[in-house]
Amino acid sequence: MLHSQLAWYVAGPLLGLCVVGCRALFNARLGVTGGFSEIIGRLRQGQSTFDWRGWFLFGVILGGTAYALAAGGPDFHGYGWLTDHLTGSAELAIGPILLGAGVLIGYGAKLAGGCTSGNGLSGTAMFSPAALAATATFFGTAIVVTFVIEAVVG
Amino acid sequence: MTARLAGLTVGLVFGVVLAWSGLSSPDVIREALLFESAYLYLLFASAVLVAAAGLALLRRRETRALLTRAPIDWTPERPARRHIAGAAIFGLGWGIADACPGPIANQVGQGIAWGLFTFAGVVIGVYLFLRQDQPETEPATDAPVSAARAPA
Repeated sequence: MLHSQLAWYVAGPLLGLCVVGCRALFNARLGVTGGFSEIIGRLRQGQSTFDWRGWFLFGVILGGTAYALAAGGPDFHGYGWLTDHLTGSAELAIGPILLGAGVLIGYGAKLAGGCTSGNGLSGTAMFSPAALAATATFFGTAIVVTFVIEAVVG
Repeated sequence: MTARLAGLTVGLVFGVVLAWSGLSSPDVIREALLFESAYLYLLFASAVLVAAAGLALLRRRETRALLTRAPIDWTPERPARRHIAGAAIFGLGWGIADACPGPIANQVGQGIAWGLFTFAGVVIGVYLFLRQDQPETEPATDAPVSAARAPA
């Protein structure tokens, strides 16, 4: 996989240009959680038409499909530390763990007003103090959690 | 219609880059969070740098948004407790799953079945938040004008 990994100095600026694109097109902040929120919010109200944020999320999904088709398969196999360490009957725990982590990610991102893209990428580029505080917090928390997991299973 | 197509296009670029850079891979994220690789941090810093420069340029030119015609501007938000609490909850989930909403959606697009669990979790988490009917925390636009409504 790594031999075909896009260089950081290409990938980073491209993601940055997506942020600039959303500002230039919509005067809006790019954020993936905003796409989830738009779609779920509309469906809750019985509507099935979504604004550009919903379509942005469809694009993020289809971009993964386009990559997998071009590369002849997904970018990785297994699922990180979970499939490395939870084997045999313990593998049954992976689904519930990922589901629970997803709930924390979705709820937490909404409460914080953005995820890695909305707060971390777009918000920091806007020099928003709220986004800077949120970004420092979620990076710090994730680093601590990862080191704890490493200490337990590593 | 044009706005939807534009949103889809930006999303496609974003999605291809997420997959191609390996940001959708939990191993790449985990390596970064364990400080075993600088890739994510260099990528992130260059993304923010380019975004900040582009945004500053857009703002200085005092242009209007191409599709919404809204004046290009935004107001900085003060940190509140919910930003810290929400980010801590988010960071806990991120550290466990080694994926955040973009990569999770991207994994599903790549056909990675494990991503369906996390995807379902994000849907439930966002739904649980929306059900509380709190004021919208994810602004569609940051225009200081009251008529700031996302175009269809």
